[in-house]
Amino acid sequence: MPALRADVGVDVDSFRLDVALDAEAGQVVALLGPNGAGKTTLLRALGGLTGLQRGRVEVGGQVLEDAATGVRLAPEARPVGFVFQDHRLFPHLNALDNVAFGLRCRGATRADARRVAADWLDRVGLTGQSGQRPATLSGGQAQRVALARALAIEPALLLLDEPLAALDATTRSEVRRDLRRHLRDYDGVPLLVTHDPIDALLLADRLVIMEGGRVVQDGSPAEITGRPRSAYVADLVGTNLYRGSGRDGAVTLATGAVVAIADALAGDVFLVIDPRAVALHRQRPAGSPRNVWAGTVQGLDVLGDRVRVRIAGEMSIVAEVTPAAVASLDLVEGTDVWAAVKATEVATYPT
Amino acid sequence: MKERTSALVVAVAAVATALFVIPLAGLVWRAPWSSAWTELTAPPARDALRLSLITSLAATAVAIALGVPLAWVQARVAYRGRNLVRALTTLPMVLPPVVGGVALFLGLGRRGLVGQHLYAATGVQLPFTTAGAVLAETFVAMPFLVLTVEAALRSSDRGLEEAARTLGAGRWTVFRRVTLPLIRPSLVAGSVLCWARALGEFGATITFAGNFPGTTQTLPLFVYTKFEAGDLDSAILLSLVLVALSLAVLLILRDRFLRAL
Repeated sequence: MPALRADVGVDVDSFRLDVALDAEAGQVVALLGPNGAGKTTLLRALGGLTGLQRGRVEVGGQVLEDAATGVRLAPEARPVGFVFQDHRLFPHLNALDNVAFGLRCRGATRADARRVAADWLDRVGLTGQSGQRPATLSGGQAQRVALARALAIEPALLLLDEPLAALDATTRSEVRRDLRRHLRDYDGVPLLVTHDPIDALLLADRLVIMEGGRVVQDGSPAEITGRPRSAYVADLVGTNLYRGSGRDGAVTLATGAVVAIADALAGDVFLVIDPRAVALHRQRPAGSPRNVWAGTVQGLDVLGDRVRVRIAGEMSIVAEVTPAAVASLDLVEGTDVWAAVKATEVATYPT
Repeated sequence: MKERTSALVVAVAAVATALFVIPLAGLVWRAPWSSAWTELTAPPARDALRLSLITSLAATAVAIALGVPLAWVQARVAYRGRNLVRALTTLPMVLPPVVGGVALFLGLGRRGLVGQHLYAATGVQLPFTTAGAVLAETFVAMPFLVLTVEAALRSSDRGLEEAARTLGAGRWTVFRRVTLPLIRPSLVAGSVLCWARALGEFGATITFAGNFPGTTQTLPLFVYTKFEAGDLDSAILLSLVLVALSLAVLLILRDRFLRAL
């Protein structure tokens, strides 16, 4: 079974990418992060399209590149398939010959290459489109051809750069479902770049969060969403994340706010408060074992049947309440409110 | 409502058009249509026509063989002096061809800078030979091909070449199976333009290769010689052949050439 062992160091102008990433076959890994995090640069480096300044890349025991020894396999010599965001189908070849291209380059005869390519088009559900030029294919069809073309060369490592980004919303969910199936069937190492958390959560077994050229968190979707370690992930999940110093059942944040917690955790900690656990009041609520902070409503966002209320103050926090609560509390931008959270609703974990 | 075009502008434009049409009309008006076939198929004219086709096609072939790699380097390789090289290799487009002929003579003539060594080593001399005529035409015409192909290579999608490499194509396969098919319209346009320019070449050819019937006397040289000698009939008819060929090229390239540049 092939496995990826990569330690990638690339400098592009003033941007510095340093990522160590190991991945096993049969496990879909999604690289998730904001624009400019270096996700695409990492994929390009693994595919040999961008050279390493530092580090080494090994796939299935074969060294593809090693900055220390100067080994550097050309992209065409790597057992790596690449699905590009903009598909990059050859406009002068029909769908069948696009898929057959890689097989031909690997020495297959025209007839053999076309037979295998036809089989792949069949698998991605495009039997009837084999004679069509890319210009006449829909976005979803082009994406499938690009996937078939990359899979046809049976790569040990499959790189997908924002494979669904170029698609509209309706095609997207359909193509995503099929992509998920193809990634499950694929027996190499699939590595997917996305900035869409939905794609990541639905397609991947493991998330690697990148920010500023580094990995900031790595784990299963449940681990990442349950214990975010960066503002980016907290935003994706839609939760409140803070960092502070714990002592005697309370955490002091950098802003000076003090949060009572139920665990006795000391030292640097992350602190997560679920927006649905935040209660809002117009008057300071009575009762002692609660966290109560004064603040001002900064904005309201409707999210399905809930309203997310952004509150600024010594403890900037997002509360998620019902539209009925918004109406009865008469919440508008600029309203002064009290936000209350039970100590047992505050999750903490060490940094 | 459509704005009315100024009558003055229309009048000036008509004068400008007349400037091009009147000389051509003159050719057609004075052409000896009754003896046309005999004149065109007479041995001297036939030789000039045949020689012109051979040399212009050979010049185009040389220009493609040398010009496409040059265009590739100019479009894809960043190096010091690239602009200087571009200026030098496109100079013949603006240089008076006769100056090009003199320069070729001093560079590649039997006693020229490089030509003397070529002659000493191989006994080959270019001036006053058919090969010399091909060289003169190549010198003048190749820039048209290089510029057209370079522009196409510059604007072609590098992402497709990357995709081809990830699929296992080496650099040569990428060029042959992806780059070349994508720039084909421009390559065709550049080649036709180059060929048309080579076909019409006069100054550099007569200076470098001379004006020998059968070896270096191409169509334009033949027309000039006949005109000087007062043999208007031959001059007119072969001029019309050149006009027809040039017009055909323009019509073929009408859409493609404008798009390629």
